[in-house]
Amino acid sequence: MSPFWQQYLPLSIILSSLLPGLIIFTLKETQVKLRISLNLFGVGVKLLLVLLMWQAVKAGQQFYFSLPFLPGADLVLQGDALSLLFVVLSSVLWLATTIYAIGYLEQSPLRSRFFGYFSLCVSATVGLALAGNLVTFLLFYELLTLATFPLVVHRGTPESLAAGRRYLAYTLSGGVILMLGVALLHSLVQSPLFTPGGYVAAAVSGNEGLLMLAFALMIMVLGVKAALLPLHGWLPQAMVAPAPVSALLHAVAVVKAGAFGIIRLVYDVFGVESMQALQLAQPLMLLAAATILYGSWRALAQQDIKRRLAYSTISQVSYITLGVAMLGPLAAVGGLVHLVHQGVMKITLFFCAGNFAETLGIHKIRELNGVGRRMPVTAMAFTLGALGMIGIPPTAGFISKWYLGLGAAEVGQNWLILVFALSGLLNAAYFLPVVYRMWFLPQSGRWPAEQRLSNRFETHWMLLLPAIFTAILLLLMGLFASTELSPLSWSQLIVEREFRHD
Amino acid sequence: MTDLSSQLLLYIGTAAGLFGIGLYGFIVGPQTLRRILALNIIGAGIFMLMVVLAYRGLAEEAALTLTDPVLHALILTGLVVAVSATAFALALLTRLNQAKSAQCKPDQLRHGQEPEQ
Amino acid sequence: MMVVLLVLPLLGTLFMLLWPKIAPLLALLTASVCSLAALQLLFLVSEQGNQQVLLAGWPSGLAISLEANSLSSLLILLTALLQLLVGLYAFATHRRDKLGAGFWPLSCMLQLGLTALWLSRDLFNLYVCLELLGIVAVALVSLSGDKAIKPALNYLLLSLFGSLCYLLGVAILYGAYGVLDITVLAARWQADLPSSIALLLMTLGLMLKAALWPLHGWLPAAHAAAPAPVSALLSALVVKGPLFILCLLWLQLAGATQVAAVAPWFAGCGLAALLLGGVSALRTPFAKNMVAYSTVAQLGYAMLALGLLLRFNQPLFAAALWLFVLAHALAKAACFLAIGEITATLGGKRINTLKGASQTMPLAMFAFAVAGGSLIGLPPSGGFLAKWALLQGLWLQGGQLFWLLAIVLATLLSAAYVFRAVVLAFDRADPVAPDFAPRILPQWLALLPALAVWAMALYSEPLLQLLKQEGL
Repeated sequence: MSPFWQQYLPLSIILSSLLPGLIIFTLKETQVKLRISLNLFGVGVKLLLVLLMWQAVKAGQQFYFSLPFLPGADLVLQGDALSLLFVVLSSVLWLATTIYAIGYLEQSPLRSRFFGYFSLCVSATVGLALAGNLVTFLLFYELLTLATFPLVVHRGTPESLAAGRRYLAYTLSGGVILMLGVALLHSLVQSPLFTPGGYVAAAVSGNEGLLMLAFALMIMVLGVKAALLPLHGWLPQAMVAPAPVSALLHAVAVVKAGAFGIIRLVYDVFGVESMQALQLAQPLMLLAAATILYGSWRALAQQDIKRRLAYSTISQVSYITLGVAMLGPLAAVGGLVHLVHQGVMKITLFFCAGNFAETLGIHKIRELNGVGRRMPVTAMAFTLGALGMIGIPPTAGFISKWYLGLGAAEVGQNWLILVFALSGLLNAAYFLPVVYRMWFLPQSGRWPAEQRLSNRFETHWMLLLPAIFTAILLLLMGLFASTELSPLSWSQLIVEREFRHD
Repeated sequence: MTDLSSQLLLYIGTAAGLFGIGLYGFIVGPQTLRRILALNIIGAGIFMLMVVLAYRGLAEEAALTLTDPVLHALILTGLVVAVSATAFALALLTRLNQAKSAQCKPDQLRHGQEPEQ
Repeated sequence: MMVVLLVLPLLGTLFMLLWPKIAPLLALLTASVCSLAALQLLFLVSEQGNQQVLLAGWPSGLAISLEANSLSSLLILLTALLQLLVGLYAFATHRRDKLGAGFWPLSCMLQLGLTALWLSRDLFNLYVCLELLGIVAVALVSLSGDKAIKPALNYLLLSLFGSLCYLLGVAILYGAYGVLDITVLAARWQADLPSSIALLLMTLGLMLKAALWPLHGWLPAAHAAAPAPVSALLSALVVKGPLFILCLLWLQLAGATQVAAVAPWFAGCGLAALLLGGVSALRTPFAKNMVAYSTVAQLGYAMLALGLLLRFNQPLFAAALWLFVLAHALAKAACFLAIGEITATLGGKRINTLKGASQTMPLAMFAFAVAGGSLIGLPPSGGFLAKWALLQGLWLQGGQLFWLLAIVLATLLSAAYVFRAVVLAFDRADPVAPDFAPRILPQWLALLPALAVWAMALYSEPLLQLLKQEGL
């Protein structure tokens, strides 16, 4: 691979979705074929480029692209192992979501706008993953907010506009505070590249207060997107968006961006030593544990499928935060791998929920009775996702929870194992009844709004395929966790590189 | 010397008085025309001050015939600006009144039965 | 070069009055040639340092002197480019919007006044430029017909009053020191009572003319009443003229004690402008008034930066001040053109007119949103750069938590009013007539400055360096 390629590869990964997105904006509603082929072309090119990069990073190469921006903080894109984890996740899931969205939005108005912003959203996510320093991260973080807003309000109904306002209020306030925090940190230590082990260690003595303030400010903001406890309010409300958007918000882009940011902040900005010196981990851990339990508890009470899934997300994403906050290598592996696993599981569940809503008009949990016979494949995928969320082997969810538990024991926080157990029970309590209803209860009355979307399958093949794909993926990730290709071994690689310096 | 400075003080006092009267008129005046006139009075005060200041160096140099030509040039420029600005303000005022009466007329036509409503 | 920049608009105006039929063409021609000349001036200054010209061969002290440093050449370039852009927009829409023929010579005069203002370093010349600017601006406002006369007249009276206050200050200073040139004056400056009074009077007049809080009352009415291209010019450029002079006075002339006394007031006024202007922008039911109030609020940033600069003497605040000026000029031009285009096409003045605009007029709405992003200060826009410099300065100064929180609050307010419009635009559109065909070119023209303000980020490092050194 030539150096030229190495320099421009991160940029071209972003452009591979950005450019088609920009072109799609200019298309007319009727140019469906052109739009779809552009979309798929972008996805294909992106996957190819990501594959190239993956191989190179595995071999130990570094990618680096920079534009001059602020003094002491260029716009830097770099591909390291951690960013690649997120890039691969979002690109693969983007493929699934794009196909799903094409099927889901067939015949609905304003598709050019939708797919344009859809592509922008993924570009911003990938940019966020590849960001090489905090200022670049901040930039893509804001872009992500802006690109997702039109998707949340896409339906243009009063509820979706209200949800959009709420979303903006949360994330934009967050963005401003993030800017404040980044500026503070920049004034203390500039904004060098993200480095394993962090870069603030040299400035810790004498600046404890300010560093803690900066950390608190930034965690607060990332906590908005990662839906940490007091800041989660926007997420359930944003459920009014179309199903592919919910999938995107929960699994690919927004929530994950928050979680990813927390990982970056803890490991590559502050680093384990400074975190310990400043005693920042403990509060974060408590907050994450509280969110896990709170999210699960609230999910129990929800009768709407998508809302239950939303609260489940709040709970599950905090596993990632918790894994990071424990500051032990095993827990870190658990947190990182859960970033991927949770994404795949949650997107499966959302695809299925969308399928139920589109095909049969089901929105409430009690309407799911006997759906297993009408839509067996979707119901199967949903079941797999639910089992994964509970953490039952051999699904992917089991792997991450296993490592998180090991990690808790490793760092001597045994009470966390209790939290995991309790949360697992709650998960089972709100997912298993759903599964039970689908398979073992008879159909109660007619479906609310049945549509025949396909003659051969239970629903439109474009809606079915992505769900099957991700369901199989989550099974494979669990079954083949020990192979070289699995997210688990990649997370181990990352953690090895992160912890190697000490 | 004391003579001259007391004379100067008188002029400066007058200028300040003019400025004050103008200021009062500008702030209080409800009618636009009055405010335009008030602005002119303020201007007169300032120009008077400048004229007085043109004699500023006299006490020291005792050369009564010499005055500062720069200030005179400035006053001239200022006068030109003030005149044109006043003219413009008056023109705008006229248009405003025209627009008002043009608005009133159709109203009066419409409510022909009840004039002076 | 500087003389060319002044003579061209003057000649242009003259020819426009002689041949009104080709006035638009002449205006565009003048603006484009001036843009090129300004660009060349910028290069010249960056290569050879500051340039000075004494007009008509008079010796220094008597002659009208023009001085270009990199800041003024940057401002001249901005002026010329915005003139060109707004001229194009006006040309594209003048039939529909019934823009009077007076627009062309007047806008050319506006350019002359502004260019002369950026180049002058002499208190009285600055007065003349200020007066010219004020009168031309009022004439431009009055172009939009009978409804605009009242705000125009009000604007004129206040502007004249402001100029007279300034003139009185100049007279007092000349009486005390016998010179008008700012650099010479600065060398002889004594912080005594007459000079304090003169400074205060001039500051008062300039704040009135620049619509700085609490003397901003005239601005929303006047800017909202003007035709869209005029509002763009007024908000983007004209209010910056007095601000420029204000900065000259306080940064170059005023003594340390005077500065120390006034700095907190400036910062406080800036803050009040930010908060109260933001709230007004959030509450007004009219689209153009919202943009106009946003100008009041955004000028608060400049004021705040000036106050902080005077207080802490930190070069980052100087950079922040001028970045705000540049970014706001571009963003506000885009906002006014976009809103003007939308309201003219969809018909209506209320902010509700924007309902569904993201579907009916996506380009113009996009322009508004992009420009609004810079007003909020989202990265990587020009507004972000300015805010970044401000935040950096405050953090480096240490212990300025109050100001930081205030800036956060102000940013949120600006986000609130920008997104109030954007959320409306994402509402489902009312059905439009089948022959509804918004014009594309004006929308693109509105988008251009919005894109330019984001492109500023690409030149952020040289810009920051330049403005930090310059700082006046």
